[in-house]
Amino acid sequence: MRAEEVGLSRREYEKIVELMKRPPNDLELGLFGALWSEHCSYKSTKALLAGLPHSGADVVQGPGENAGVVRLSDDVEVAFKVESHNHPSSVEPVQGAATGVGGILRDIIAMGARPVALADMLRFGTDEASQRLRAGVVRGIGLYANAIGIPTVTGDIGFADTYRSNPLVNVLAVGIRAPNHRINASTACPQHYLVLLGQRTGRDGIHGASLLASRDFTHSSEDLRPTVQVGDPFLGKLLMEATLEAVLGGFVAALQDLGAAGLTSAVAELCHSSGVGADLWLDRVPLRQQGLSAYEIMLSETQERMLMAVGAEHLDAVIQICKRWDIPATVIGQATASDDLRLLQDGVEVGCVKPRWLVADAPRRSVARAWWDGLDQSGAHRRVDPPMFSSELLLKVLGHPDVRDRASVYSQYDSMIQTNTVYGPEHEVSVLRVKQQAAGLALAVCGSGRWAALDPYAGASAVVLLALARIAAQGGEPLGLTDGVNAGNPDNQASYEATAALVRGLADAARACQVPITGGNVSLHNETDSQAIWPTLMIGALGRHPHPLRPVGEALPEAGAQLFLINPAPPDWGGSVAAELVSELCTYPHPSLQKAHHVLTTMQHWARREHPGSVRTIGVGGLAATLVRFLAVSRPELGIDIQIAEPGADKTGRFYNEAPLQWVVVVASDQVLALQEYWDRAHIAIVPLGVVTDDATLTVDKRYRWTRSDLLGVWRRS
Amino acid sequence: MPQFEAVVTIELKPDILDPAGEATGHVLQQLGYPLEQLRIGRHITLTVQAADVAQAERLVGEMAQNLLANPVMETYQVQVKAG
Amino acid sequence: MKIGVVTFPGSNCDADTLEALSVIGVPVRHLFHEERDLDDLDAVILPGGFSYGDYLRSGALAAKAPVMRSLWVAVQTRQLPVLGICNGFQILTEAGLLPGSLRANAHGEFRCAWQTVRVTAASALFPGLSAGELLRLPIAHGEGAYYVASGELGQLFGDHEAWLQYVDDQGMLSVWANPNGSVANIAGVMRGSVAALMPHPERAMMAELGSTDGRRLLQAWVDGVRGRTFHAS
Repeated sequence: MRAEEVGLSRREYEKIVELMKRPPNDLELGLFGALWSEHCSYKSTKALLAGLPHSGADVVQGPGENAGVVRLSDDVEVAFKVESHNHPSSVEPVQGAATGVGGILRDIIAMGARPVALADMLRFGTDEASQRLRAGVVRGIGLYANAIGIPTVTGDIGFADTYRSNPLVNVLAVGIRAPNHRINASTACPQHYLVLLGQRTGRDGIHGASLLASRDFTHSSEDLRPTVQVGDPFLGKLLMEATLEAVLGGFVAALQDLGAAGLTSAVAELCHSSGVGADLWLDRVPLRQQGLSAYEIMLSETQERMLMAVGAEHLDAVIQICKRWDIPATVIGQATASDDLRLLQDGVEVGCVKPRWLVADAPRRSVARAWWDGLDQSGAHRRVDPPMFSSELLLKVLGHPDVRDRASVYSQYDSMIQTNTVYGPEHEVSVLRVKQQAAGLALAVCGSGRWAALDPYAGASAVVLLALARIAAQGGEPLGLTDGVNAGNPDNQASYEATAALVRGLADAARACQVPITGGNVSLHNETDSQAIWPTLMIGALGRHPHPLRPVGEALPEAGAQLFLINPAPPDWGGSVAAELVSELCTYPHPSLQKAHHVLTTMQHWARREHPGSVRTIGVGGLAATLVRFLAVSRPELGIDIQIAEPGADKTGRFYNEAPLQWVVVVASDQVLALQEYWDRAHIAIVPLGVVTDDATLTVDKRYRWTRSDLLGVWRRS
Repeated sequence: MPQFEAVVTIELKPDILDPAGEATGHVLQQLGYPLEQLRIGRHITLTVQAADVAQAERLVGEMAQNLLANPVMETYQVQVKAG
Repeated sequence: MKIGVVTFPGSNCDADTLEALSVIGVPVRHLFHEERDLDDLDAVILPGGFSYGDYLRSGALAAKAPVMRSLWVAVQTRQLPVLGICNGFQILTEAGLLPGSLRANAHGEFRCAWQTVRVTAASALFPGLSAGELLRLPIAHGEGAYYVASGELGQLFGDHEAWLQYVDDQGMLSVWANPNGSVANIAGVMRGSVAALMPHPERAMMAELGSTDGRRLLQAWVDGVRGRTFHAS
């Protein structure tokens, strides 16, 4: 077997020979090929990601483990992370998306946490085939999430031609655990048995994630595609229950899920984090099909499997629990005091490598400090002035698939199971109670789409600000962020620089807002025939909600209430849906990070008050879409009458501007003075917009009028 | 044009996991049946208009390839009964 | 009095159902699909979920579990009250304890939403609920289209066995209010001591989560069980 066949370069092969002091055999070469792949090693981006802020008062577990963990209270810790399944979903949308859900749930379970919520962040093309792909992906997410019984509580979806050959399927999961049930992969000791739980191993996706997700698609790459992995939420549910029961019983020393690169990755990660070696008895691995080679056993990506390190005294207890849940559990090896991972088949050593080589020693692309420091802008700058205000544009914006009501997607997901969902997917931020706790969770997800198309730095930082603005609108205290970086081929210099600018924007915004990034995912090679996607950052923001059973309202209270725009940005419509519809893609406004932390905490404290009124955050679709969303959830007789101060083309800019850190607040007239004083005192601009009416109409400047039913008819058409 | 009845039998490729088959087989084993393996497929019957058997086979084969089966995961067989 | 809640492999609303019963304040026993002894129980709930992954047909594999044999005997010999919710409904039809069957939603998709349902008639199984009463409850299912052969439909309504129907917010029966293609908008069926419904009452236990109508429904059923137990002892 040659290095190229497992995706390694000549230089990487030479490094392997240097480490091993001999040429690897085929099996060993396969292990390196999988773990040194872009997907597993992050070889192109590790140095970039080193620039992200990771620490914070509430961080229990930062990046490096299966998921980040933050502290909600003295009794509850929250694990959360985003994961991509772009390439598998492109090949087989239903199973690709389903196994993506299964995979991220096992990451959460591997931290000893019980999953309580899921969110999906999706990007598709605009042609017919992409619509079929979307239907399949949504079906796949529901197929797994609904059956395993984890509510999908929020999400984000966007469409653009750039995603036609490379759809994005990012899924985020949240789980909770008690501090005394902390577990991860780093606490295995010599002599511990290695127990493999779950599905019997088959020829599923040999080299699936490692090779498939580490190469571009070309029209001739069909035959590279490995056997599709099929998700089994039923077995996933049993595996989840058995694993958590064993963890709660105190029977598990260390825990690692099997994902990309299967057993190889799981064993190597567990050994490396724990500082142990291991003997692996491959002939004991339960198989679904006869005749699997050692190579296939080590690299199979069969789903629904977990690896546990278990002390001899607890082995029986673990086996009994698995028996009760009717899932196979087999001792397949033992941790050792050496630093070797020895692979044995029927007593014969068929391979031997050091876990460190596989996990930590892949050659990495380095980053020049000066280049990184200068990366605050990238791409072409294209400005287009908006046209004069007109009444036709609003209906076009509302009908745009990125702005439209998402109900046709989320009604296919069970969002209420577990009975914690106070605000589900029909809201712009999800609010969950945590049983027996005063504090709850606020979860906001969003992705960059066209914001980052021309200026990835600006788009990425804006997405961070938008997610945090939604948490602040609920009075939530931000606990952490998880990032999904999706970009093109890192060997293509333009794609690499775009990725770097995206990561730099993420880093700067998170640092400016003083919120740690506790973990995330990078998916590169979203490129087909040298056409890369727009670099796309998906963000999940998790906050501590002060009173989850009384969330801040998102509806209009009653006629006579007054609307205000908080922290208005300059009326620049760059990067907006409206601009794309009218003229062309133009550059998103560069967000100012200087005041971001102050603005966010000011909103957070306002929203925590007894009577904050109703609050909505401006995002994709701008002020226009925000006003219509108010109407959608309010009593049918209510309307909105606003005046926009800006004249001429700036009126259009104000109405459709998508800059982050802007909110619309609606308060009863006796609260107006308190609201204005509060924001004046903080030296943050607050602009009166208008009043709530009882004429079921949206009116702008007394001149432009749309009935509520016309607006919602367009917005809800799926 | 003459009509032909056709049957398309769709099965998962041998290497693809069949969760439904596994679970169903497991329950039958628990009920005491001496079952070795069980895999679940689909059986689709169609009536098509075609000039002859060969054209009917070609048409149904196309339908199977384009829509009825998922070629990424499944194989199919077409049987056409002479009209 | 004690109510059993059964966990089949793949049940996922068992914890929510147990919690709902604890809110109502009823002693419960959580039992596994392999248990055979139901003698200590005054009633049993089959909760929602995807037992055996809904593979083959939803409810079909769970209907063969050991606990279902005992349940069948208890229903025949001592008219044990049984409540099936969602997947529990599917299991009860597959086990032959309720007439009809549940097919894939007519639109072909899983659907999670708030739905208004109407109680068709007062019954001894739900003494707190009166005819015409409207309840707002969540639905969450992919195979909820109730089906019976057309000849049986008359009996279902004649004997008030079709006890719950999907309606619009004003309580009107219409095809628009039917979320899944159920025949005659049927959302719940009862026969003898066995009752079932597709909506999830255990998710509608507090106003902050959308509705307390599920609590009313479960309370009524528990009152019915309690009344029976009282008269029997």
